[in-house]
Amino acid sequence: MITVENLTKRYGRTVAVSDVSFTCEPGTVTGFLGPNGAGKSTTLRMLTGLTPPTSGTSTIAGRRYADLPNPGRVVGVMLDAAAQHPGRTGRETVRLSAALLGVPGTRADEMLARVGLADAAKRRVGQYSLGMRQRLGIATALLGDPAVLILDEPANGMDPEGIRWMRGLLQDFASRGGTVVLSSHLLGEVQATVDQLVVIGRGRIVASGPLDELLAGSGTLVRGLDPSGLNEALTAAGLPLEPLLDGGFRVDAGAEQVGRAAAAAGQVLLELRESDGAGLEELFFKLTAAEEQAA
Amino acid sequence: MTPIDTTRSTEMTTDVAEPAGSGTAPRARHTAMATELPPARGQSFLTLVRIELRKSVDTRSGRVLLLGILALALAGLVWRLTHLENEPVSFARFAEVSLVGVRMLLPVIGIMAMTSEWTQRTALTTFTLSPRRARVQLAKFLAAILLSVLVLSAVMVLTLGFTALGGLIDGSSPAYGSAEDGFWSGLAGIYLANALNVVMGAAFGAILAQTAIAVVVYFVAPTLWSLAAPEVFGDRADWLDVFGAFGRIAERSFDGKLPESLTAVAVWIVIPTIVGFWIGNRREAK
Repeated sequence: MITVENLTKRYGRTVAVSDVSFTCEPGTVTGFLGPNGAGKSTTLRMLTGLTPPTSGTSTIAGRRYADLPNPGRVVGVMLDAAAQHPGRTGRETVRLSAALLGVPGTRADEMLARVGLADAAKRRVGQYSLGMRQRLGIATALLGDPAVLILDEPANGMDPEGIRWMRGLLQDFASRGGTVVLSSHLLGEVQATVDQLVVIGRGRIVASGPLDELLAGSGTLVRGLDPSGLNEALTAAGLPLEPLLDGGFRVDAGAEQVGRAAAAAGQVLLELRESDGAGLEELFFKLTAAEEQAA
Repeated sequence: MTPIDTTRSTEMTTDVAEPAGSGTAPRARHTAMATELPPARGQSFLTLVRIELRKSVDTRSGRVLLLGILALALAGLVWRLTHLENEPVSFARFAEVSLVGVRMLLPVIGIMAMTSEWTQRTALTTFTLSPRRARVQLAKFLAAILLSVLVLSAVMVLTLGFTALGGLIDGSSPAYGSAEDGFWSGLAGIYLANALNVVMGAAFGAILAQTAIAVVVYFVAPTLWSLAAPEVFGDRADWLDVFGAFGRIAERSFDGKLPESLTAVAVWIVIPTIVGFWIGNRREAK
């Protein structure tokens, strides 16, 4: 169980995270989604006691992170897979954490085997690919048999096989009562893994809720041969619409209504379908685009 | 029942198993494991020190540093043994050369103890697993001092061996203590000066957090001071000359300059240590 209440972080006059609140329930996998620089990592660092928030609170399993006597036994954390000492072997990296958590070294070896690094355990981390470092980070996170997992961009650098493996691991973890939150800047990367979404943009939560509700979206996607003609036809029919970046529109109406309005105006349609989460994707796309313009 | 209950068994010093009737979900996970985990406890300070010691010797750079110090000492000793120049063989003459590399490089153990985690960004893992940073930092200081004492002891043993060897070659019985200072009190001075050196390095490391920068500042700043200050302040420069203070402490003859020595130590060691702790506790791990 993770509870985040009104977390805010300011650096001087820049607001990195603004009034962010959400909860993650046991048995769920929450995707913490947002473009790069949206405040995901800052939020996760505040949640894990690395960054003091300007205001607001967060708890894990009912306690502030800093008040957990041996946090690794309650919550497994991986904030940056690249942040590992290149001069240590994979095995030594995990065994060091095992010593800190008070779990036997054999447990470290088991976790290395579980993430598929048993054969690479004796190699130095400097020789690992990013995907292998992600696995190493996950091995460390799982060491203390935690009830909660917090993973920042765990799919980064992983191949499709690795992403599928991680999906199985996390869903299995949640199905046994665990709480998972993982961040990503790519909706597609985590869409099949998560069942809850918290979307953040420019430091603020812009959407949150169960994945299927957010993806259900509303309305219909339509794209025509002549976008401006189609726009006029739909507007004339009194259908509220929103232009999309590919030249199509998202219309707050059923497919039949949209089709009839287009037919009445003699517009040729190239695409007509239920929006199916396109709203979320569009929202996400806008966030990213806005971020790129700002940069 | 939710997995919240797992926290009950993580109470500091509580080694009782989970209370009856607590979380079924976490227990379900336990059955899936090959290794049964011991109950969670807080991290003892001794564990932290042991882990910090281990961290300083389990990387290639750490090992190279330690072996480098020993190799330099050995090279100095061999050089002295082959250049006895008909002067009386004494422990002091051998220590003079074996300590050159030690004085220069041992503080780097202290520096790296404090900077390595920030340079390599492993602070992210360390401080999520051990959020009470003051304890971790203290463990790092202590581990650095312990390690330097071990290395220094190895060098001293080598030096003793070479002194005896020099006596054998020379056919004389070497002097182990000097006229004004016995062997043991001379040794105590060496260890004390070394510990201060390492703490100073650690303090600089804690403040600056990046190995390369800390090493440069550690070597350049006090040296610049000891070169420039006499020009500016004349005799009063002694009040801030930390290397002069080290020399007086190692020889344990203060020549009436005890207040000056203590002031230099306070300014270059005590204050940086306090500032380093303060900054290290607040620095954002990214």
